[in-house]
Amino acid sequence: MALMPKRVKHRKSQRGRIKGNATRGNKVVFGDWGLQCLQGGWIRAQTIEAGRIAANQYVRGEGRLYIRVFPDKPVSSKPLETRMGKGKGEPEYWVAVVRPGTVLYELSGVSEQQAKVCFARLAAKMPIRVRLVRRRPA
Amino acid sequence: MIETIAVKKRDVKGSRAMIRIRESGSIPAILYGHGEENVCLTVSLDTVNNLIKHGTKLVTLSGDIDDTALLRAVQWSSMGDYIIHVDFARVSQTETVEVSVPIHLHGEAPGAMSSAGQLRFVTHEVTIRCPAVKIPEFIVCEIGALQLGQSIHVNELKLPEGATAVTPSSIVIVQVAAQSGAEGAEATASPSEPELIRKEKAADAGA
Repeated sequence: MALMPKRVKHRKSQRGRIKGNATRGNKVVFGDWGLQCLQGGWIRAQTIEAGRIAANQYVRGEGRLYIRVFPDKPVSSKPLETRMGKGKGEPEYWVAVVRPGTVLYELSGVSEQQAKVCFARLAAKMPIRVRLVRRRPA
Repeated sequence: MIETIAVKKRDVKGSRAMIRIRESGSIPAILYGHGEENVCLTVSLDTVNNLIKHGTKLVTLSGDIDDTALLRAVQWSSMGDYIIHVDFARVSQTETVEVSVPIHLHGEAPGAMSSAGQLRFVTHEVTIRCPAVKIPEFIVCEIGALQLGQSIHVNELKLPEGATAVTPSSIVIVQVAAQSGAEGAEATASPSEPELIRKEKAADAGA
């Protein structure tokens, strides 16, 4: 099941703009390896879930996957063959807004080679360019 | 371990000047502490990279300034590719300081060898208070006897002589947890739309 907030203040949100690089959530915190995005964009809840499944199939029993982004922005759309007007459409899906530099997933308990293969599988699901990063020294 | 690094005094300030310094293979730095005046410095990038690679915290500054300092903070670029600034804090060698030290695991946990257990390295760094000259490069955490369901806390770490942990003693460093069987199964009955925190306007209007 795709991620979604439990409670929200407003059902619909405006689109917004993505400016600049990530200044928070831009380093590997929980694991040893991270998947960092190189572009800004919206990542759908279904995409995050697809990535989680793809990675967990590979690291099952060995490593642990951490998801660092949460889809908290509702995206609305109008139904097909509807005339314009009559207000904003209904919320259709949820997205996580990411800036360049945001760490999307982290992986621990695996070797570098395993992390590379795992994140390559995961990167294929992503709508933006990503790269493998390692934990920064303390 | 104390390393001697060469530093130069810096008169220029501002982002454009700092960009020029970084392009020339150096990094802007600052020296502060002990109630003395702050001094702006430049340090070679390779020197700082070496310090970070080896986990060296205590350094002797030579060149335009002669002092002993602690590598207090390192600022990275937003993408995490390169270092943009370094903070040095003045310390005397006998002074007690608080520093964050990485933890290295040693051995193989028997509990994690079986398919039922999984080793989870929860806390990667621990903050300790110790004399400046005795700052360790890393702290070794022995996990050779860790069985399934067991964990090692901060108070079980073997700290170097004269060092005390600042990180709360109950924090888990590493544990062998049972593998979760069905991940994501808990979200089977989630609603299609989230609950609204505020009250509906229609309900207010009707009242």
